[in-house]
Amino acid sequence: MTSQVQLEELKLESKPLTPANQPLEKYKVRTENLNAWFGNNHVLKDISIGFLTNDVTAIIGPSGCGKSTLIRCLNRMHELVPGARTKGSVLLDDSDIYGRGVDPVSVRRRVGMVFQKPNPFPTMSVYDNVAAGLKLNGVRNHVVLDKAVQRSLEQAFLWDEVRTDLDKSGSSLSGGQQQRLCIARALAVEPEIILMDEPCSALDPIATAKIEELIASLKEQYTVGIVTHNMQQAARVSDFTAFLYLGQLIEYGETTNLFENPKEQLTERYLTGKFG
Amino acid sequence: MPRLMDIGLEKLRNMVLDMAELSQNTVSTAIDAYVQGRDLRERIFGWSEELRMLQDEVSELAVEIIARYQPVASDLRFIKSCMEVSYGFSRFGRYAHDISDVIGIFGDLSNCDRHAIQEAGAQAKDMIRVSIKAFTERDVELASNLKKMDDVVDNIYLDFVKKSAHETEANLKCVVSGTLILRYLERIADHATYVGETVPYIVSGERAARK
Repeated sequence: MTSQVQLEELKLESKPLTPANQPLEKYKVRTENLNAWFGNNHVLKDISIGFLTNDVTAIIGPSGCGKSTLIRCLNRMHELVPGARTKGSVLLDDSDIYGRGVDPVSVRRRVGMVFQKPNPFPTMSVYDNVAAGLKLNGVRNHVVLDKAVQRSLEQAFLWDEVRTDLDKSGSSLSGGQQQRLCIARALAVEPEIILMDEPCSALDPIATAKIEELIASLKEQYTVGIVTHNMQQAARVSDFTAFLYLGQLIEYGETTNLFENPKEQLTERYLTGKFG
Repeated sequence: MPRLMDIGLEKLRNMVLDMAELSQNTVSTAIDAYVQGRDLRERIFGWSEELRMLQDEVSELAVEIIARYQPVASDLRFIKSCMEVSYGFSRFGRYAHDISDVIGIFGDLSNCDRHAIQEAGAQAKDMIRVSIKAFTERDVELASNLKKMDDVVDNIYLDFVKKSAHETEANLKCVVSGTLILRYLERIADHATYVGETVPYIVSGERAARK
């Protein structure tokens, strides 16, 4: 089995890749020549990619290819790691989120993130977990909070399961419920984009199916980006798929086309399990 | 290290190649039997049934591989193509059976002019050979010849039908039997063309526009 394929050998170059040549205004967020480093380690190389509004975009690629780093650059979480830095632009509705004077906290409010391992605040109740972001933003009115908590839990397909247990600890829920609680928490602050970093990797098949159904429903209101190691999951839930390899964007296109008829040999080899 | 799916893909490939050989032999035997005036209906019917059952087995295995391994890219294209090609081979068997039935329906046809049928039959046999070779070797260039070869069979059939309009009633048996056989050969040629169309699809995902 081939372990690594050198990009130099394949004579590939990172190039701007946007699906279906859509006009720029259709992209909720897009990057232009985005580079990212951890110290001296250059992990993203000239990535230019756009996420279309109200679509699900999946990012696939082998471990260490830069998938998580890419989405963490989209809400300025990458810079939270000591020694991490970026170069290039990330345009959210055509405004650079790395521009001078942009508050990273306000960016993260617009671009929510759900992580691999469900991470509800362990000492908080279900209700408080969902309301936490709003309270941090100064919302104190109970009627407003109640409505936001119910709306968010409903959107996360969790309301019916926890409506009588809102005072229970978030940690008392099952793994799949905890992940939906985290999604509800992200939705409560009414973001415009939801990014998910391997949201189902710690979940059983039933919980995974629920999250996948949830993703399909979320795109009606939000732009969704998902990083996944599970290619079948990418094929099931996404409209567009991007394949990253060694920090470069190798191929990006409609999910159906990419999985049935990849244009790049490297994508073909990765998808068919000839390296990984 | 081979992938688990490779075992299934190899089995699928072998089943399709078995079908290819059997279908080629079935069509060839049916055409030769007509030319030689021999009644081989039973034998050809048996092979045709065998092809039909093999097609079912190919479909079942293909679905099983899809369900178990969720193939994508060239693996998925190959499996889809195996299903299409096995259908084509099964149709070869069915048309061969129809050709062999003509003698049963019309009896002795030794006085009929068999030129057109011999010519179209030879071309159809050649098309089956080419389509199988192109599929087996994934030879896109070889497969691209099939469309032109198909035109030859189409023209023989159309010419025969046009001429038939001017034939006398005394020649009716030859006209109807010849038209039927040429029609079956024309359909065999079409399916050989479809088998060829899977080759560029498997190799690069390119789908030819069907006429």
